[in-house]
Amino acid sequence: MGENLFTGIAAWLSALLNAAGVPLIANDIILMVVKFVAILVFILVNVLWLVYMERKVSAYIQCRIGPNRVGPKGLLQTVADIGKLLSKEIIIPRLSDKIVFLLAPVLIFVPPLMIMVVVPWGRDMAAVNMNIGVFYFLALASLSTLIFWMGGWSSYNKYSLVGAMRVVAQMVSYELPLVLALLGVIMLTGTLNMNTIIEAQRHTWFIFAQPLAFLIYFIAGVSETNRTPFDLVEGESEIIAGPYTEYSGMGYAMFMLAEYANVMLVSIMCTVMFLGGWLAPFGWTFIPSWFWFFIKVYVMIFIFMWIRWTYPRIRVDQLMGFGWKVLVPLSLANIFVTGVGMYIYRAIGW
Amino acid sequence: MKTQTYSLNMGPQHPSTHGVFRIVLELDGEVVVKATPVPGYLHRGIEKLAEARTYTQVIPYTDRMDYLASMLMNWGYVAAVEKLMGIEEEIPERAQYIRVITGELSRIASHMIATGDYAGNIGGLTGFTYTFRDRERIMDMFEMVCGSRMTVSYFRIGGVAADLPDEFFPACRQFISDLPSMCDEYDGLITGNEIFQARTKHVGIITPEDGINYGITGPSLRGSGIAYDLRKVRPYSVYDRFDFEVPLGERGDCFDRFSCRIKEMRQSARIIGQALDNLPDGPILAKVPKVIKPPAGDAYAEIESSKGVLGCYVVSDGSPKPYRVHFRRPSFINLGMLGKMCEGWKIADVIAILGSIDIVLGEVDC
Amino acid sequence: MFGQGLIKGLQVTWHEMFKKKVTVQYPEEHAPLAARYHGRFQLDADKCIACGMCANACPNKVIQITKEKVGKKQYLTKYVMRIEYCLFCGLCVESCPKDAIAFSHIINMNQFYRDKVRLVLVDRPAPESLPEGEAAEPDAGGAAAGKAARVQQAARAQAAAGKAADKEGE
Repeated sequence: MGENLFTGIAAWLSALLNAAGVPLIANDIILMVVKFVAILVFILVNVLWLVYMERKVSAYIQCRIGPNRVGPKGLLQTVADIGKLLSKEIIIPRLSDKIVFLLAPVLIFVPPLMIMVVVPWGRDMAAVNMNIGVFYFLALASLSTLIFWMGGWSSYNKYSLVGAMRVVAQMVSYELPLVLALLGVIMLTGTLNMNTIIEAQRHTWFIFAQPLAFLIYFIAGVSETNRTPFDLVEGESEIIAGPYTEYSGMGYAMFMLAEYANVMLVSIMCTVMFLGGWLAPFGWTFIPSWFWFFIKVYVMIFIFMWIRWTYPRIRVDQLMGFGWKVLVPLSLANIFVTGVGMYIYRAIGW
Repeated sequence: MKTQTYSLNMGPQHPSTHGVFRIVLELDGEVVVKATPVPGYLHRGIEKLAEARTYTQVIPYTDRMDYLASMLMNWGYVAAVEKLMGIEEEIPERAQYIRVITGELSRIASHMIATGDYAGNIGGLTGFTYTFRDRERIMDMFEMVCGSRMTVSYFRIGGVAADLPDEFFPACRQFISDLPSMCDEYDGLITGNEIFQARTKHVGIITPEDGINYGITGPSLRGSGIAYDLRKVRPYSVYDRFDFEVPLGERGDCFDRFSCRIKEMRQSARIIGQALDNLPDGPILAKVPKVIKPPAGDAYAEIESSKGVLGCYVVSDGSPKPYRVHFRRPSFINLGMLGKMCEGWKIADVIAILGSIDIVLGEVDC
Repeated sequence: MFGQGLIKGLQVTWHEMFKKKVTVQYPEEHAPLAARYHGRFQLDADKCIACGMCANACPNKVIQITKEKVGKKQYLTKYVMRIEYCLFCGLCVESCPKDAIAFSHIINMNQFYRDKVRLVLVDRPAPESLPEGEAAEPDAGGAAAGKAARVQQAARAQAAAGKAADKEGE
């Protein structure tokens, strides 16, 4: 019953509009807007939940209880925090580049939201089924580097500047292994369409076919989202909060929330590319496909959080060394092995 | 290409300068060209305040120096006054043992903070909460003994303020039997972690020669492989009766200094176990006059504090108030080499090096 | 090496996740206080002989005592602690020869205004003369125990006033 819940709603809405005599083009546009708004609301709710979840996970790891006062089990804690941050003054440093300074926290949410549009949330549940979905994801994901740099540069603060320089160096050098790791999967499937990639994992998830690629993607993904052990950008014990140092109130909160949106994004891509997306394992199709998708995404997010609260932070030169000397050669080797393997596979003609 | 250095003011308001310490860094990109430590933001003039207090009234002020190991701070001052009065030999056995027990507990508490805080400085905040959780048990024990958790004011000239309560003994025995497993947990989470090792090994090396020349003491010196521990070298109080080892490092880098502290915790637990077993009965305070008036003269006494050698110099003019009190604070003297150690390392290493010396700002600025 | 330590760390945190939590949820639960806990001060005005030892022992001159001579006795009329300067070192409690000043287990001493922080333990007028038996007793140099008993009697007469002042200080 749950399987067709959302597609059913969309079909029903479409039929309703048709019956009301709305022209086909307007029908499509209205449907698209509804889908986008649904995704937007969904992402924001998820991000609020993720902040709460991170607090709870960190608390449980650290022998604490975590937020438990606001709302049942503290569920409304993040909402209360957002309310508090909204009511705070946004302090703009006198010598900062004001336009850029204020633009950065606004723009920071744009790339994650744009990417979410192509995500196949379940069977036939991508808002836009794009045939270059993976490429679109990678192209937009690298945009956020620029926005971090905007924030760091315009703040007129040396800590921000150091953090911003780190962000550019780190994100640019970890983009490469990230893309190269995904290339192995793309070689196997021969497509950039996310739905097709998921369908191709019907028999074997690519985490088993491409374990090394998964590992590289995971490490590079942690780095892309600036989380421990690669959270040099914030590096709160060294450079206070990096590019966010001068931000106050909601500006700061936007950066923080965007971090969680990014975590979700990387987990979603991991699920799509390696964990079989919305496919049900062991043929357990009694759970709807979109629900399977979330279980997998949240398992990944939990692992991200678990790692964050266990490991210390790596140093900037070690980070670059690790990226260029270990991850990039490994991912190239992975592509090579995949290519050779595919050739042999075809030659044998299984 | 023409490049130039820039200066970065790290502190006094900074998350990991252990309070209000300030370092002015001259940076070339992320590399430190020159580091200038600027202490003094927590100066309260404890030495001057002591001149307007009677000998006993100074004790609560010594708590506020190294507030993480206040028992040991009490001990340093009290030892100097006792030496001045010439009653070192008259201190009852039981008081000596109680001093050893509480002093070593204080050392463990201080090292736990150093361990957890260092993990926090490197970026793993979870280690921080584990050590604080375990230190809480020591704080509870101090609360049983003297009513306060951190600023204990427990030692008195000639002994200690109160006898150990009955509920202290099971709690302490339980704690020292649990301590090895706690240390194993820290080792598993922090010490064994490859990222942590990559961050700390071969970073901020203190060579044995430099260590001696700069007057560095405590675990910071022992990390360089020099077995200088006053408890062994010049045993004071009853330390010559206990069987314990002085853990040493090899390279003198941040990692060695850090791991020395964890090993020292285990040794301290051994000392406490022996002291509890051999705790004699008897009075806890020597027969000292109500108004303490040491004869005119001066005395210097040293003890091994958790950060290094704590020396206390007391000058008396025969009045009930000390003429001059001076503390040789190990944190302050260990800091002397910071500028040299930081040169050539990254910003993140400055924090790692500063954390590995384990300073307490209350003690540095006094 | 090679990731063993990393996995070990994950194991440690995984086990901690299911251990009992150490948080004490404060307003509902209270951590037990040790018997010797240094909380708010309490003064047994009946026992106090207004000797001023506590005021002398204090390193920060927190304690201010006002006393009046009633008959041949020192009579405590006001006992104020400038608690904002107090180190809670316990030297006053230790120095008290009659165990009149002591620590209680009250930890809630916060006040909204600074001038309310001051802890007034006793504030009472001195009686004209010490009640019955006092004036009739001519032998001032009597036994110390007798003296103490008399002071206690006198103080008890004023206990109500002292307690009222106590409440104001809270």
